[in-house]
Order: sequence, then structure tokens, then C-alpha cells
Amino acid sequence: MGWVTTEHPTREELDACVQCGLCLPVCPTFRLTGRETASPRGRLHAMSAVGEGVVEVDEVFAGLLDFCLGCRACEPVCPGLVPYGRALEGARAEIAEQVPGRKRLRRWQTTTILGSRAALRLGSLGLRIGQKLGLLRLTPARYRRITSGLRKLGGRGQPTLGHAGGSGEAGTVGLLAGCVQDEWFRPVNRTAVTLLEMAGHRVEVPRSQTCCGALAAHDGKAGAAHVFAGQNEEAFERYDMVVATAAGCSAHLAGYEGLGSSAADITVAVARAIDDGRLPVSEVDRGEMVIQDPCHLRHAQRVVDEPRRILEAAGFRPVEIDPVALCCGAAGVYTMAQPEASETLGNQKADQVRSSGVTRVASANPGCEMQLRSHLGDDYEVAHPIEWYLAALEEDGRGDD
Amino acid sequence: MKSLPSDLARLATEPDTLAPESAEDVSSILRHASKEGLRVQVRGGGTRSGFGAPPTPDLVMSMENLTAVEAYEPDDLTLVVQAGARVDDVESTLIEHNQTAVLPERPGDSTVGGVIASGASSFKRGRLFGTRERLLEATVVTGDGRVVRGGGRVVKNVTGYDLPRLMVGAFGSLGVIVSVCLKLWPAPPDRATVTVDSPEAAAEVARPLAVLQDNESTRVYVWGTAAEIEAQTAKLGGGAEAGHHWPAGPVDRFGWSLRVPPANLTGAIERLPTEWRYVALHGVGEIRAASPRIDGAADLRSWAEDEGGRLVVTDSPEGGLDGFDPWGRPPPGIEFQKRLIAEFDPARVINPGRLPGGL
Amino acid sequence: MSYLEALRGALGEANVLEEPVELHLFSKDASLLRGQANVVVFPQDADQVSEVVKIAEAHKVPIVARGAGTGLTAGASPTEGGIVVVTTAIDSIEIDLENRSAWVGAGVINLDLSAAAAPHGLHFAPDPSSQSACTIGGNVANNSGGPHCLAEGSTTSHVLGLEVVLAGGEIVRLGGNAPDPIGLDLKGLIVGSEGTLGIVTKALVRLLPLDPDVRTMLLAFPTVESAATTVSQVISAGMVPAALELMDQRMVQAVENWLQAGLPVDAAAVLLAEVVGETEGVEAEAEIIADLGRANGATSVEVARDETHRATLWKGRKSAFGAIAQLAPDYYLHDAVVPRTRLVETMSAVYEIADRYDLTMLNVFHAGDGNLHPLVAFDASDPETNRKVHEAGDEIVAICLKNGGALSGEHGIGIEKRDMMRTTFTELDLDAQARLKEAVDPSGVFNPSKVLPAGSRCFDFGGVRRKELPEGVWV
Repeated sequence: MGWVTTEHPTREELDACVQCGLCLPVCPTFRLTGRETASPRGRLHAMSAVGEGVVEVDEVFAGLLDFCLGCRACEPVCPGLVPYGRALEGARAEIAEQVPGRKRLRRWQTTTILGSRAALRLGSLGLRIGQKLGLLRLTPARYRRITSGLRKLGGRGQPTLGHAGGSGEAGTVGLLAGCVQDEWFRPVNRTAVTLLEMAGHRVEVPRSQTCCGALAAHDGKAGAAHVFAGQNEEAFERYDMVVATAAGCSAHLAGYEGLGSSAADITVAVARAIDDGRLPVSEVDRGEMVIQDPCHLRHAQRVVDEPRRILEAAGFRPVEIDPVALCCGAAGVYTMAQPEASETLGNQKADQVRSSGVTRVASANPGCEMQLRSHLGDDYEVAHPIEWYLAALEEDGRGDD
Repeated sequence: MKSLPSDLARLATEPDTLAPESAEDVSSILRHASKEGLRVQVRGGGTRSGFGAPPTPDLVMSMENLTAVEAYEPDDLTLVVQAGARVDDVESTLIEHNQTAVLPERPGDSTVGGVIASGASSFKRGRLFGTRERLLEATVVTGDGRVVRGGGRVVKNVTGYDLPRLMVGAFGSLGVIVSVCLKLWPAPPDRATVTVDSPEAAAEVARPLAVLQDNESTRVYVWGTAAEIEAQTAKLGGGAEAGHHWPAGPVDRFGWSLRVPPANLTGAIERLPTEWRYVALHGVGEIRAASPRIDGAADLRSWAEDEGGRLVVTDSPEGGLDGFDPWGRPPPGIEFQKRLIAEFDPARVINPGRLPGGL
Repeated sequence: MSYLEALRGALGEANVLEEPVELHLFSKDASLLRGQANVVVFPQDADQVSEVVKIAEAHKVPIVARGAGTGLTAGASPTEGGIVVVTTAIDSIEIDLENRSAWVGAGVINLDLSAAAAPHGLHFAPDPSSQSACTIGGNVANNSGGPHCLAEGSTTSHVLGLEVVLAGGEIVRLGGNAPDPIGLDLKGLIVGSEGTLGIVTKALVRLLPLDPDVRTMLLAFPTVESAATTVSQVISAGMVPAALELMDQRMVQAVENWLQAGLPVDAAAVLLAEVVGETEGVEAEAEIIADLGRANGATSVEVARDETHRATLWKGRKSAFGAIAQLAPDYYLHDAVVPRTRLVETMSAVYEIADRYDLTMLNVFHAGDGNLHPLVAFDASDPETNRKVHEAGDEIVAICLKNGGALSGEHGIGIEKRDMMRTTFTELDLDAQARLKEAVDPSGVFNPSKVLPAGSRCFDFGGVRRKELPEGVWV
């Protein structure tokens, strides 16, 4: 039957692969299994076979793509410049359309809940009560990694949604509050507002924004993703810079046609301000800190130096744990969808952290942070690089100038 | 023995010895031998005739008339030479261009073909690898008289099976080597030999050309630019002599090749009976030794084989082995070796029985 | 019991793939030619490989070994159908520091081995450009080369021993840390035999010490000829650098487009040269190369600033094939080797052929050992272009052979170069090779139809004459 939607991977996208295989060693699922069927080259090969009419979009094909984390580690190493992430989203849209039962599956997670603030608030409230009462131990196994990786949800100030403030001499920033980010990781958003305003920006968090649509797109809900994107493009069109504090969101924003180059991850915005001298550099040596690279920052956006420069400005010495930055296994809903592979990758990443002998970890993405916290346990402190940075400034007494 | 056919009689240099002048001559001799069931011993310089099981030939094929350099391309570092060429002559030609084929030093009368067939290597093998790594092409006449070529005259080649490599150490069991192409190497004129206190001292320099230990001393061999030599000899504590002074292989009634993992070399030296003379190659695991008596060899072999090594007889007086197998325990995959020989030398005429396992 | 049931029984269902889409993905390697796998298996050790071999022999089904599928001659394509045996699960590394060697599973990735050895100051010398993905099993099967085999030799020079499953499912350990194993060199025969004689499950490889010092330099030239002349002159100057690689302008531009490393995209050709050793020698040799380059008109000579810069330059070189995708969906390349003294004239002829056929030609190759990789970027879905590409390829090979060259330097013969074997070997030469195959693999199950053209086994010396056999019969 071949492709049926307008989202499908194009021949041009797929032809960009000459099957050289350089993507294999950086692919976490290939590393886990050693199988072509679990590699980027294999998945593109399977997509091409659909295009040629050799293979059907069925449960088996869906299974091959379900196993992909979507970490896009294959993209930077690809000398043929294959747009793997785009092809993957296209293929998933086809699966959602063609494979029976896939259309409705997980819709409640990606579209209904993330698109609705009320639903998110309600869910978060439930989690917060559960956390307080110690009930999260009772969650089903496949969700426990998430609940055990959560930050403490109580008493963390107001949501940033609707905030507006700052001088604006360095330009105006629109902040994407994110879905879970403003609920479960509110301190990251609040830190972002503080630092951006310190750096001379006017910061606005417009209420007209919605979910960035990343999870929906990754999950084959192309239609929903387009609706989200359209709404956000409108909400953010008047800003000099549009910033997200979750790497997964900023990577997706970067793909919006309507925003162009104004979209940036918070680490890029803060590092730039430090480089320009708009944010201070601490003179205090605070010792070593593990830096973990979220896939959507390093692979999808090729942002590598910025989080390190932020840590250095905070007085930390970044400790590298993984030269190829293999995925930690969080990967959006992967923890729930492929618990076994996610578990193995999470343990691998935790082992890399442990073998460094350092107990402070910086991670610029909420999914990674939860995965790390869950696998590392309470002896390790995991936070966003900008949080470590602001805390250091406050310690130096320079947090409020 | 029956009289030779007329086309072969012209090649006779003495009774039962034929000296072929071309690959076709070699082919004629081997076809004749295959038809008549004659055992043929191939003779180069005769320096390694004691190696392996002693031959009992009906006919000797002398390679003395196949000595030509067929092609020498100094700018490409390749040499095509016939098998009967003396190693000494070949290296003398090459050194005029500051090049070497990295064949054994102090070769005596050995020939290129003999060195390859017996699998002998240069002392420099720890740095520049052994003879088998230098063989690019071989033209061979199989036991049943087919002239076949494998490999090519270029420095890197994976075209088809590595037939040339199969000839190394095969003692002609698959065929007689007629000519070969060798990969040459630059031989810098500045050289030094440094005597050191212990083999460990050699670790001060990166990949020296050779580290040799004999009954008297340990020497490190280096070459390169004058500046390199100076730097390396300084690291070795000085006391360098200019030039390379290679030891002669020890000679006595019995000759031995002891091969052990490099890490076992010092242990192997300690196990040698005191009357044995030896030259040991550090980093390689090869010991060339000689002894007046065979005593102690069985114990040494048993230890070496347990460590993954070998003790091989390279020379012995007639009847001196007294049942002691020249090779020791047969190698793995012997059935496959047998089948290979059956394909190439079906009448089993070239050096029969000389290989391990009586092949 | 069918062979599929037997395989499931021997390896467990999780290690046997049978879905059509799965089989499709294992039916080709990085070359153009597709086969059709009947089943894909993932043995965990030599014992399981042995079981697979016995099943294959009992049912007369071909076995095709596969590592990472980066081969360029369809060596791992199951062109005769059968069982694809993927060795990636056999991935242990046991380093023996005292002997400077390691027993390595066939499925270990080449670069992973060197990464594991690096903390001990050691490395595995063969470094094919696909080294970040290709496996040791594949390296052994193809006797792989790479830029650094110029000075250190190809894979075969670095394999001390093998664990291999031969006909009858016999598991044999050949060679070892001790030098010069006695008897015929079966190990040496199996290295480079492209899976046609057995399946290698482990290799004992030599590890070399990391070099105390290194200079990596990039020389830009106004013509390909001046770069190639420099290469010939470096070799005749009495030195063998660690690596001497040439890339032409189109190739540099494609790589730079991805790498963004400031490569000299205006130069007609660049030479990547590397010298290693003690500092004194390294400096002298680097100076000689730079001087020769300048004498031949080099417009710039850039020395790698640090290890990161050096790594970037090598990354550019080693990712070149993949970058071709920017120009066209397919590429076809040859791997012929010519004497270094004939490099300049051969390169001119190669470009002339491409121009005459109006094809997009790129060159990126191991100039130091004369190993060309003339590469045509094209769209294989157009039959006319396809025909032109293959005709041009045949001409390129012919000119290389005429100049004293060999068919393949490091990629192997597989299927893609198989029928050209007759242009370089006589019937008797090929017959000898067919005899080797028959002696080691009497039932013919190991990777049939590869390396040797059909009818290689002739019977000129026996009773049957080859001409009496129908064309294409495998005897």
C-alpha cells in the first residue's frame, strides 16, 4: 500500500542515505542489540522499502520504529546529511494512520493532556499529593521510573505562564513555559526568567502559547503537532528570541518554519549573555561537576559547548562521561513504551556518572534529569546547568544585581 | 631409478640432480615426478636442509639456475626475483638504493625461495614484521606441474585468496616457488647497536628495530636519521656502536627454533639447558638455539607447548633424533592441511613427510 | 525438521529473524547489490556458529557471515539466499598486555578495540575508513586496510590467531601469541577469504604501542597531478609515512559541507600526510614532505594544531564515502592498486574516462600505497546511467591492470569485482584458487558464488575438459 499521508518520508530524504553505516555505533539501540533492524540505517532502509512497495506499514514495521528513541545521535555523524528525525516523524505519522489501533493509542498522553493546562495541573496535583503521602511506590512498574525521578513538587512558587518583566535593553525574549516544565520543573523556568532579566532582556511568557508539539510529532501525531506549532508561531512571532528551557522543546521549536533562527535553547541564551559580559563569571572554584548531554541538545541542535561554558562561569569544572553522548534512555515516552531498553540505557548512563566519582550532575532536559535521578538515587544531585549557575551567583552574593 | 626423459636430461647437473632454468622446466620435472611417483627435494642454498623431517629424495631439484632479478622498482619499493637468488646478493643490490627486503641477516648461501619455504625471518621482524608480511606475489609450480600465480606486484592487494602467504613455511608441500615479488623497505644508512644491561632497558625507545639477547649480552638495534639515533641511544644510556652487528645463528650438532609467546621469552631462556647457545628475539618470542646434545629438549618442548609455543628441530646429525619428532604435537586443522596438499600435490612428490604430522 | 526449525532449536527464537522486512534489511551490505536472506541468525559464540554450520551443511543451505554490513563489494549480500549469520553478539575483548595482543570477538567494532586498548598505550593498526562501524570479523574476512596500513600493513599482518568454524562445524584455534605456527598457514589463508572458507568467531590480534609523537599535515595543491607527483616523490625519497591520503576538490567540498572544518575547498586536491615516531624523526620527515609539496606547487601546508584538529582532519577523510550522498543517491567505486610510480598517469587516465562518459567522478584514496578509490556518484534507478557507470568502471580497472596494478587493494572481490578476476588471473591461477576453496569447504556452503567466477575450477589436467561443462556450472 505504501505511503498514504502527506507526512511520509520523501524519496529525497531517504536517498540521502548511501548505507555507509557510520550511524551504527552512535545508535543506542544498535549498541544494545547489534542488529541492523535496530539501527538508523536499517530503519531508513525499511522506510525505503515501503516507498518501493516491498514492505507494508504494519505492526512489524511499526515495531522497528517503536524501538527507536528518536535521540537523533545519528544525525551529526551522517556525512550524507540525512534528516533522520524528520523521516522518523513522517514514518510514525504513517504508522498512526495505517496500523490498526495506533490512531487512538497514547492520544490521551500526547494530545489531550499536554494540550490542556487544566488536565496537567490536575495530574500534577495528584502526583504532588502522592509524593507527600509516599504513595508513588505503588505506581505500576512501567511508570515508576518517572515517579521516582520527579523533583519534589511542593512549594515552588508561581508558574511562569503570564509573566512579563525586565528592562529589554538586550532585546525581548518570549519564553516557552512548556507543559510539564512549568509544573514539574518550575524552578528551571523561574531561574530562566531571573537570569534572562539579569542579562538585560525583557521576558514575556505569553498565555496564548501551547505545548510545543514535540511529543505529538515523535509519536506520529503530525496533525496535532502542526496545530500546536501554528498556535505557538502566532504567540511568539513578535519576540527577538524564543527560548525554551527543556532541550526537547527547544529542538522542536528550532524546526518551526515560522520562527526561523529566533528559537534557542536557554543554555544558548545564557551562554551568549555570559560571553557578552551581561552575566557575571564566578571566581570561586566549586570543584567538579558531571555534564550530561541531552540528545535533543547535543545531537538535534549540536549544542555542546554552551552548557559547559555556563558551568565554568559558575566555577565548576565540567567532567565528561561519554564521548559519544549515548542516550540515557528517557527519550520522552520511551521509558513507558520500551521499559526494558530504557532501563538498560538508564543503568549504563548511571554507571558512567558513578565511575566519575562526582555526585553533582548537570542536565539540560527534564526527561534526562528524571531518568538520571531515578537511576542514581538520592546520593546524587541533578539539576539544570542554569540552576547550578544561579545558585553559584547567589552564593557569591551576585544574584540580585 | 629409471632414466630421465630427454627433455629433462639436459637439466641434470649431477646424477639425480636437475637444475631447471624456467618455470616450464620446473613444471616438466614435477609432472615427470608425479607420473613416476618420485620424491623431489627442492634445494636452494642448502642452509636449512636439516629443518623438519630429514628428506629422502629420489631426485633433487636445484634452484641454482633461477637467480635472476626480474624487476626492481626502487621508487615503488618492490622487487621481483627468482627463488634461487641468494639473499646476500639480493640485499647487496638493494642496499645500494638504501633499501632492504628485510630478509634474514648473515644468510650464508640461503636463497630467497629457501627462506620463504622454511618460513625464516629477519631479526628486524619485531619492528618490520616477518617474511610472510613482505611477500606480495608468488609464482609457484604445484606438485602436479601447474604454473600458478597468486597476489600481485603492488604493495596492497586482496584480489583472491592469499596464495603467496600459504607458501611461507610450507616447505614446498603445495608447490615449488619459482619467483616472488617482495615489498621493500627504506634502510636508513645511520644505524647503531647499543648494549644494554637488561631487555627491560629497551623499553625506553619506541619500537626499536630489534632487541636481541644471547648467552653474553642484550643488544638494541636502531636506525633512522642521525638525530633520531642520537636521541634513541641517549635514552638507552649511551655506549652505542655505529652500524648493526648481527649475531651469527648458533651452530652445533642440533639446531633449534623455540617459539613462545613474547611474554614467556625470559622464562624460556631460563629453561634452556646451560650448554645451549642461543639468540633470543625480544618482543617476538623466537629463540634460535644450538646444542651438542638432545638432552633436555623433551622437557623444554613439553613446557613450550603448554604455553602455546613450539620447539622445532632445525638441524640434527643423521640418526640423532632417535624418534624425537622434529615438530612436536601436530598443529590444529591437520585434516584441512592434508586436503590442501592433496589438491596441489596429489602424488605427494615435493618434500613428502617433511611437514608436521608426517604430511 | 526444516532448517528453520533446527535453527530456532539451536539458537532460541529470539536469535532467529524471519519477518520479511527484517530479512530485507539483512539482504545487502553497503554496496549496491541486493541478495535475499531466507533467515537471519545471531549466534552468541563459536558453539552456536558450529551448530548453524552443521545445519546448513545438512540442509545444503548457503551461509553468509555478516558483521556491520559496511562492505563495498556485496561480500555479505546473500545473493544465493540462505542463512545470514550476524556475528555482532560475539563481542568480547580480552587484552593481553604482556604479549601486546587481544582475543577479540568477531562482532567487536574496530574502533571500540582501539578505544579499549588506548588506556594501555596500545592500538589496533588497521583503520579502514569505516572503522567506527565495521567489525573485526569483517576486517579479517576482507583483510581490510585503511590509511595507516601504508606503514603497518593490512589486517593480515596483525592477526596472530583465529578461532574459526570450518566445514563440518569444526571449531579450530589457529595460531597464537607464539610466532611462526608450524605446518601450512591456514590462518593466513582464511584472512581475506571473504567468508568463503569458514566463519571467524574470534581473532587474536596484534596491538601496537601508540606512537610517541605524530605530525598530521594537510597540503593543498593546484592540480591533482601535482599532489600525486608529491606522493610518488615522498615514497622515492626513502620514507614510508604513516599515512598519505589524497582527496580531490569535489570530495573535499562534499566533506566540508558537512564537517565545517575549514578545509581548503578551492584546491584541486589535498594531501593528508601523517608521520609518526620519535620526535626527532617526525620533525625531519614532516619537513621533507612539506618541502616536496611546496616544490610541486602546494599552495598551503597546514600542520594539525592539536589532537582535536588532527581528529577532525581524519574524521573528514574517513567520512568521505558517506558524504557522496549529498551529490547523488548511489555511488560505485573501484579499489584497484597501481605501482606508486604509475600514480600520476593512472589518475589522468581515470579522469579522462569519467569525462568521456560524462560522469560525476570523485577521488579519495590511499595515495601512499597506490590504492585508488575512483568513485562515481550517480542515480542507479536510471538504466542508461547504470550502464555507463559500469562500462566506465571496466575501463578504469583495465587501465589500472595495464599499468601493473591489482584489482582490489582492501575492499575485496565479493560479487561486484568477481567477474573481473579473469582479467587479472589465468585459468590455471583461478583453478588453483578454486582448489583452495574446495579443499577447505568441500560442501560449498560458505558464501557461495563470491570471489571466484563460475567455472574457475578447470580440469585441463584431469579427464573432464572445462568446455564440456555448461556455462555457469559451479563444480
